[in-house]
Amino acid sequence: MSAPARLREYAELPQPGPIRPFHLPPVEGDRTAQGLFVRSMQRTEVPLVSGCLVLDAGEATVQPSRAGLAVLSGDVLTGGTEARDASELAEALEGLGVSLRVSTGWDATTLSFTCVAERLDETLEILSEVIRTPAFPESEVARVRRQRLAAIRQRWMDPAHLAIDELDRTLFPPEHPYHRPLSGELETVEALDREAARGFAASRYRPNGSGFVIVGDLTGQEVMDAAERHLDGWRGKVERIEGLPPVRFPAERPVVIIHRPGAVQSEIRLGQPGPARSPAGEAALDVGNAILGGAFTSRLNLNLREKHGFTYGVRSSFSRRRHGGSFVISTAVQTDMTVAALEQALLEFRGFMAEGPTEEEVRRARDYLAGVFPLRMETAAQLAARLAELVIFDLPDDYHHEYRGRIREVEPAVVKETMSAHLDPERAAVVIVGDAQVLQEPLEALGLGTVEVRTAPTLPRNGTDVSEEGR
Amino acid sequence: MLSFEFSRHVLDNGLTVIVAPDPSVPVVAVNLWYGVGSRNERKGRTGFAHLFEHMMFQGSAHVAKNRHFELVEQAGGSLNATTWFDRTNYFETLPSNHLELALWLESDRMGWLLPAMDPEKLENQRDVVRNERQQRYDNQPYGDWDERIQRLVYPADHPYQHTVIGSMEDIGAATMQDVTEFFETFYVPNNAVLTLAGDVDEAAGLPLVEKYFGEIPGGEPPPPVPGRLDPGAVIGSTVRETVQADVPLPRVYLASRIPPFTDPEFYVADVATSILSDGRASRLYRRLVREQSLAKDVVSYAFPLVTGRSFMVSWVTGFPESDPAELEAGLVAELEGLADVADLEVARAVALAETRLLRQVEQLSTRADLFSMYEQLFGDAGRLNHEVERLRSVTPAQVRTFAESTLTARNRAILNYLPREAQT
Repeated sequence: MSAPARLREYAELPQPGPIRPFHLPPVEGDRTAQGLFVRSMQRTEVPLVSGCLVLDAGEATVQPSRAGLAVLSGDVLTGGTEARDASELAEALEGLGVSLRVSTGWDATTLSFTCVAERLDETLEILSEVIRTPAFPESEVARVRRQRLAAIRQRWMDPAHLAIDELDRTLFPPEHPYHRPLSGELETVEALDREAARGFAASRYRPNGSGFVIVGDLTGQEVMDAAERHLDGWRGKVERIEGLPPVRFPAERPVVIIHRPGAVQSEIRLGQPGPARSPAGEAALDVGNAILGGAFTSRLNLNLREKHGFTYGVRSSFSRRRHGGSFVISTAVQTDMTVAALEQALLEFRGFMAEGPTEEEVRRARDYLAGVFPLRMETAAQLAARLAELVIFDLPDDYHHEYRGRIREVEPAVVKETMSAHLDPERAAVVIVGDAQVLQEPLEALGLGTVEVRTAPTLPRNGTDVSEEGR
Repeated sequence: MLSFEFSRHVLDNGLTVIVAPDPSVPVVAVNLWYGVGSRNERKGRTGFAHLFEHMMFQGSAHVAKNRHFELVEQAGGSLNATTWFDRTNYFETLPSNHLELALWLESDRMGWLLPAMDPEKLENQRDVVRNERQQRYDNQPYGDWDERIQRLVYPADHPYQHTVIGSMEDIGAATMQDVTEFFETFYVPNNAVLTLAGDVDEAAGLPLVEKYFGEIPGGEPPPPVPGRLDPGAVIGSTVRETVQADVPLPRVYLASRIPPFTDPEFYVADVATSILSDGRASRLYRRLVREQSLAKDVVSYAFPLVTGRSFMVSWVTGFPESDPAELEAGLVAELEGLADVADLEVARAVALAETRLLRQVEQLSTRADLFSMYEQLFGDAGRLNHEVERLRSVTPAQVRTFAESTLTARNRAILNYLPREAQT
């Protein structure tokens, strides 16, 4: 059928050429008279400018009883100013070809934009109007609240979201913000109103303690001047929130199934609390994670996907926030292979923690992480997002410039030691969203711990919302 | 507006090579488009083009299983491949001193794939792909929307009637014989475009391409796409399907046939979808989300497909208490309303589309992919440099005419998802 095998002249793997240096322009910046941190990087190659305003207004600053307030306030921020209603504001920005995106995470609310260079002044003038004089109209608050409530219901029917939400509830104590989904729960979001959003903005959308980041063909001085020119009328100071409740491993490994009758696949999460974002130990954790489950050729993926065909893919990752975080192994597997896949995942996790990585694995992971680094610093928007991290996590200005050097110094023993200081496969919680009728028995037989079966939150037939009790 | 330098060459074996130098970062993007996609699949083998794409990562004569990924990752590169209706693309972005590695790997699987294929690998990737389908389609709210919409928009004998992922049954039926035939039919150099973009110039890049790809023999031109390719400009009526499913919120999809990507009128359709849903001043967002509070979210876009007729789709997600009929009426009213579009709306949509394009081409991997695309689909890589002008040339009058002629009740496929629990 097929032609006889043809010989290949160049059958040998080619050798790489000499390394070409990658120069990241320096970070420049200062503080404005109003205390705003300004950070910029000059890029001359592209006609675009990307920037963001980074507010110390993450969801972790919100009391548990008002969960979802930071997200809702961020969403309403572009709902109009004292001078313009929501549609007029959108028309003004979009007429410049600019989308102003507000995204709220645990540690910050970020307003980001990209525009062509000649539109920068007009864009910043509107940005300034938004942050100085937001109107938070009642109609927009009501609309966003309704959208948020609907989005919470959408999460209930999305197995991947169900799994991660349940894992967070399992890993963090109820009084800790990370216990709940980022955008809040039905009961807390229902109670949010215009006054709450205005109050949140008044206390947290303040320049002193926030950051302003620009990447484009502008010098540091030009960026400082632009910040002073456009944002000087924005005043006030935001208080840092310190000291969240402590997080401990549960005494016994939690093993939870969220029952989805008839599910064709199971979403598996194996996770535990993890370290906060900080340069300390970060390089060793990044190398360790790449080897265990971060890269395509990680131990987990080669086993579960390429050897067994259980899944389309499996990943592990650290989520590192200002006040801690988590480590999670995630995968979706066909129902009949769920327990087998979990067993293999644990086997890899345990094996890695017990023996540590090989020299060869560490060398490859170092080269991988150091090499892909420039690929993630390619566009103005990517660079702006990296500079925003400097502000959010109090990182030094040369943090990104030094990252590859730190990666290249990582040794196998340090990987093992650092990973062991944070991770313990015997205590990692197991959450599976899938068909409990099929899964419960074999999961119990695995002997990981007492299996608790829960039902997913359900949608009401009509009238008021009913979420599951007892969380 | 865009003025990327590039050169174009065709090797003796028919491989088209685009080199687009940009020395600003020491990175090179290698992008290979094969002129084969789900449209080329035969009956009973839906999903095969995509399954075959997975097999391309299972090693080749001089590359062991998993080595392809390992070699690129340890070189500090990123890589992947995607399968789509009209094409399959493979790409690596890596530090430019590793350019030869990418060329060697891509040429080894273009020229010497079959000796490395075996039933065990096929079995493994059939399982992986079936899991991919379950994860993305079957275990996901609204996950099968495109499968349903394509069946409504296209007749049974059109290649876009089935999805790229294919059916579970067909994926499971794939044989080694299929792998061999597909490779020999479609994975020939004369059916491919290779683009190098970034820290490489023509003088350095072209000899390397010749070195690694030059000894691969050209093949027969691939056979014509099966089926009746032009199903007609419109669907002919309003066709509909209503599904009760495990979805949290009601959602209505509305799709229409539109001219193919290669027709100048496609750009009118593209701008029309941008007017509908791009940004918060867009029609659907402003009217249905903001003013009428009918919808939670809205989407509209035109698929850039070239075989006969393409299609555009818009969807509107409601709230738990929404009346699906009202949602549908709201969406239809906005589509029909494009017949009185204002000049300013067109200008805004074009401005947003321009910024988006500039952002896309900032990334070398996307720039390389677009060069390959314009070369493969239009025979003209240089179209990329004229895209902004092409968008700007769309007039309000054209959008109005498009709405009146194309977005009519004679050209609608409507798919309603209703939450199962709401049905008692």
